[in-house]
Amino acid sequence: MATANQAKVARDTEQAITVSTPSRREFLYYIWMASLVLLLGEAGAGILWFAYPRFKEGTFGGTFTLGPGEVPGAGAAPNSKPAGRFHISHLGDDSLIVLYGVCTHLGCLPSWVEANTRFECPCHGSKFELDGKYIEGPAPRSLDRFVTTVYFEDGTVETTNTEGDPIQLAGRSIARIDIDTGNRVRRTGAKAKL
Amino acid sequence: MSVLPFPSFLDTIKEKGLKKAVYEGIDDVVAYITAGMNVKDIREALRGEAPSRRPNPRLQPHADSFWLHMRPSYFHQDMTGVYPTFRLGWLSTYFVVFETITGLFLMLWYTPSPEIAYDNMIAMLSNIPFGKFMRDLHRLGAEAMVIIVFLHMLRTFFTGSYKKPRQFTWLTGVILLLVTMVLSFSGYLLPWDQLALWAVTIGASMVEAAPPADIVGKNLNLLVRGGPDMGANGLLRFYLLHVLLLPALLFVFTGVHYYKVIIHGHSLPPQKENIGEDTAKRVPLDKRVYFIPDVLTNEMLWIAFTTLLLTVLATWFFKAPLESHANPQQTPLHTVAPWYFLWIQGALKLGDKVFWGLVFPGLVFGFLFAMPYLDTNPSRRFADRRFALTVCFVLIAFLMAFTYWGYPTVGVATSADKEILFEMIPEEHAGVLRPIPFDQLAPGAYTTAQLEGSASEAALHVEEFTAMLEETGYGATMQAELTANPVLLRIPGGKLNWSVIPSTSPELLHALEELEHLMHNHKAELVNPFGVIIVTQDQETTKRVDVVVSWDAVNEETGEVTRQFNSNQAYVHSNSEWYER
Repeated sequence: MATANQAKVARDTEQAITVSTPSRREFLYYIWMASLVLLLGEAGAGILWFAYPRFKEGTFGGTFTLGPGEVPGAGAAPNSKPAGRFHISHLGDDSLIVLYGVCTHLGCLPSWVEANTRFECPCHGSKFELDGKYIEGPAPRSLDRFVTTVYFEDGTVETTNTEGDPIQLAGRSIARIDIDTGNRVRRTGAKAKL
Repeated sequence: MSVLPFPSFLDTIKEKGLKKAVYEGIDDVVAYITAGMNVKDIREALRGEAPSRRPNPRLQPHADSFWLHMRPSYFHQDMTGVYPTFRLGWLSTYFVVFETITGLFLMLWYTPSPEIAYDNMIAMLSNIPFGKFMRDLHRLGAEAMVIIVFLHMLRTFFTGSYKKPRQFTWLTGVILLLVTMVLSFSGYLLPWDQLALWAVTIGASMVEAAPPADIVGKNLNLLVRGGPDMGANGLLRFYLLHVLLLPALLFVFTGVHYYKVIIHGHSLPPQKENIGEDTAKRVPLDKRVYFIPDVLTNEMLWIAFTTLLLTVLATWFFKAPLESHANPQQTPLHTVAPWYFLWIQGALKLGDKVFWGLVFPGLVFGFLFAMPYLDTNPSRRFADRRFALTVCFVLIAFLMAFTYWGYPTVGVATSADKEILFEMIPEEHAGVLRPIPFDQLAPGAYTTAQLEGSASEAALHVEEFTAMLEETGYGATMQAELTANPVLLRIPGGKLNWSVIPSTSPELLHALEELEHLMHNHKAELVNPFGVIIVTQDQETTKRVDVVVSWDAVNEETGEVTRQFNSNQAYVHSNSEWYER
């Protein structure tokens, strides 16, 4: 009896997990199916590439090229460019930073308040320094920065580092600035509110 | 005793072991998705074996699933080949889906506003990956669909498949033909270039003719165009027609049409049935070809193959045209209706636009709608339908004649000089001169006189020509006209120096020969003609090409002969690459 039960269990188990090898016709069907899946995958990738937004130079999402005249004096009020959604801040220590003008809280646009020499967000009151550093309010971090490349007249080139620190001008004359509004740096971790 | 506080899959694993539980779970999911076929059933079908259980699991998806519900679970063997249907009905449906998908993609980048639409077209052609490809596919599919639907109608007529009880199927088919043509027409406007605007304006003007013109025609026209002429409102209305109303009608009527096809069954080849009998639904067991797996896999193959063919055609052979921006204040010479409407444009040249533009097409389509109810001959065999087939061939002959008359070269020809200049440098397309490679446009002044004799005598003939221009004063007149406002050609050195076309410019020589050929074709109207091509270059990357045609105009009353000149010009940039078009 025990043997019969074991046999039954064995038979059941055996029936359940036997997978016969495919015939040639069946195999060919699987290969066709796999090739179609591959094709659909490639088509899908092509469609995504087709659908992805295009960024034109000079429009938000693309690169803005500006001359040295657009850089304000050290410590002065920032130069705001609504078309690019950024502010160019020339800090007191002669460094340059380009801030993304959208509040890190919920997306409103903080404006520069000259009387208080800081950015103040009209929606929920978040406040930021000239260099984008968080002061107070419900925002989770300082203002984001755009990757900027500064071309100096002496031929040197400086680019924003991965942490978004200001670019040291060191007294050099600027020939041109490229601001890539498609490439944004967030302040994270320990530096989030710095 | 459950593993978790509630019954779950873990209990099944505990009971049967992991492997068995997973396999059975997969089996159940597959059977659920396919609405009736488990893994074993699918594999058997793929292997070409008979089903191992009854009722046949391959029929259940047809009964229980949405997608397969309207598809027949088996076909008659005689209807699965290319003959007698040539798969044209299937192809028509393929194109409905194909156009919907490509159209949806194009909708991502298109805005139906006269200010934006043309820029969108340029962006699609140059700045979006696969944009040009998608547009070419959509245009190709549209033109192919009109042909395929028409051929499908022809085939249905030839095999007599419209006869009782399938008259209503035919009727819905004619509706689908109409919807297809209006879809194609409404889409034609969307690029908002010269071709789009004027071809559609001509078509829409037929609506204006609907009698009584000052009540019905006028208001119908206003409704269709959203204004007295085709502008922003018209473009929006045509866009909505094209992407909403007409596709909705298309889907509904395709559903009705296909449903009727399946209800009655595909009519067998006429030879295979007794006259007056319709045995399509009673398919003998030994003649059945089941949808799963044979027809399904066959259809997948056809989808892949047709898509491949369309891709190859759109990549290497077919280019959708784009002319210059729509200009409501200027109609280009030889504006052509889309080819499937040439027959109406031809008819319109015969006389009154109310009759030929409205009544005549109305009669044609009215006849098509009524035909199955008028034709009560029960036989579908060719030999018994000589009258019907004759009528069909006569109508096709008329269609071809009307289409030919629709071409702009028939009846709309203007003066010979304008026609020649149009061929050489048309307003909107490449023409003969623009596609010449930039480096072969050698700056200089060339004349058809060099072609008068053999190649070795060319220089001699050019010298004679120069002398003739001096003696007659034609040279000075021509130069004065070319340098006057607004033509304003800047001639280097102030004088035209006639020369033979250099051997390094074979394409330019070919163009000169073409000019000579065109003048010869119009020799009845042009007395003592000569043709001239002048190439000048003011900038490194831009050249200007002028064509001049000159002839003697004879005043019929006084007999006075005056020399006439007419010219046309084009600027070609080194990057223009007109030969690519």
